[in-house]
Amino acid sequence: MTKTPERRLLHALLGPGEPEVGCDECFAALDRYVELELAGADADAEIPGLRAHLDGCPACREEHDSLYALVRAERSE
Amino acid sequence: MTPRAASVAAVEAEPVVSPPATLDLESRRWLADLRAEGKAHDLAVVRLHELLLRAARFEVSRRQRSLPHLRGNELDDIAHEAADDALVSILGRLDRFRGASRFTTWAYKFALLEAAVKLRRRAWQGREIPLEPETWPTFSSPTAGPETQVEQAELLAAVREGLELLTPHQRTVFVALALNGVPIDVLAERLDTTRGALYKTLHDARRKLRAHVAAAGLAEAERDQ
Repeated sequence: MTKTPERRLLHALLGPGEPEVGCDECFAALDRYVELELAGADADAEIPGLRAHLDGCPACREEHDSLYALVRAERSE
Repeated sequence: MTPRAASVAAVEAEPVVSPPATLDLESRRWLADLRAEGKAHDLAVVRLHELLLRAARFEVSRRQRSLPHLRGNELDDIAHEAADDALVSILGRLDRFRGASRFTTWAYKFALLEAAVKLRRRAWQGREIPLEPETWPTFSSPTAGPETQVEQAELLAAVREGLELLTPHQRTVFVALALNGVPIDVLAERLDTTRGALYKTLHDARRKLRAHVAAAGLAEAERDQ
């Protein structure tokens, strides 16, 4: 569901509101998480709390999106 | 703490473990060559740097629009610095490669992190970090119904009220990161701390605010997933 600007602001203020890993744990597991996603596996079940962290941390989200895009582009070459 | 120390601090949590036997052939070759001595090692380091530079340039190109004042050669310098720093990080952490992904995917994340951190800091270079809520946001969505508008305004008011419950440090971190959109790496550098420590503080602040909002009978935010 697309969030309205109001929803996005409230989400930025209050965060994901569910159990999440921290930035260190996110970075440690990010490569595996992205590969699971690209393989069509249930990355959220394999690495609990990482998706929630990406929802709450814009910097980690950006780095996830970059890694996902880079590896996907490389594999489609 | 140096800027580089602040960026690589995010990886210190990775445990030292041996790669599993299921590691793919290409990753095994990377590890063997990087652990070798002499020419094989030197060639592997050159290849790895090329790989990291490609990743750093990829990140730079994704962020180029947000840095219109930087020229192409300045951006490429940043990509080179990111690749250099990522190379140092990786060579110092080869024993921490868990084999949970391909080696190249693991290596890429270091270059992307270094490039992203440098670009965020560059974008905020010379800018003052807003640590106070100088202008509190208001809602005026033309698409939201009157009931929704009232509800969201109440939520926002409850969050604002909840700021009083935060410690001074939590308030500073929350206002900068969540309200004013300061990048976490930029704030970490200014406050001489790490991204992980700041996010923990933000998380604690958000938890307090969510509890306050819920206690006020405004639990709508809890369903915003």
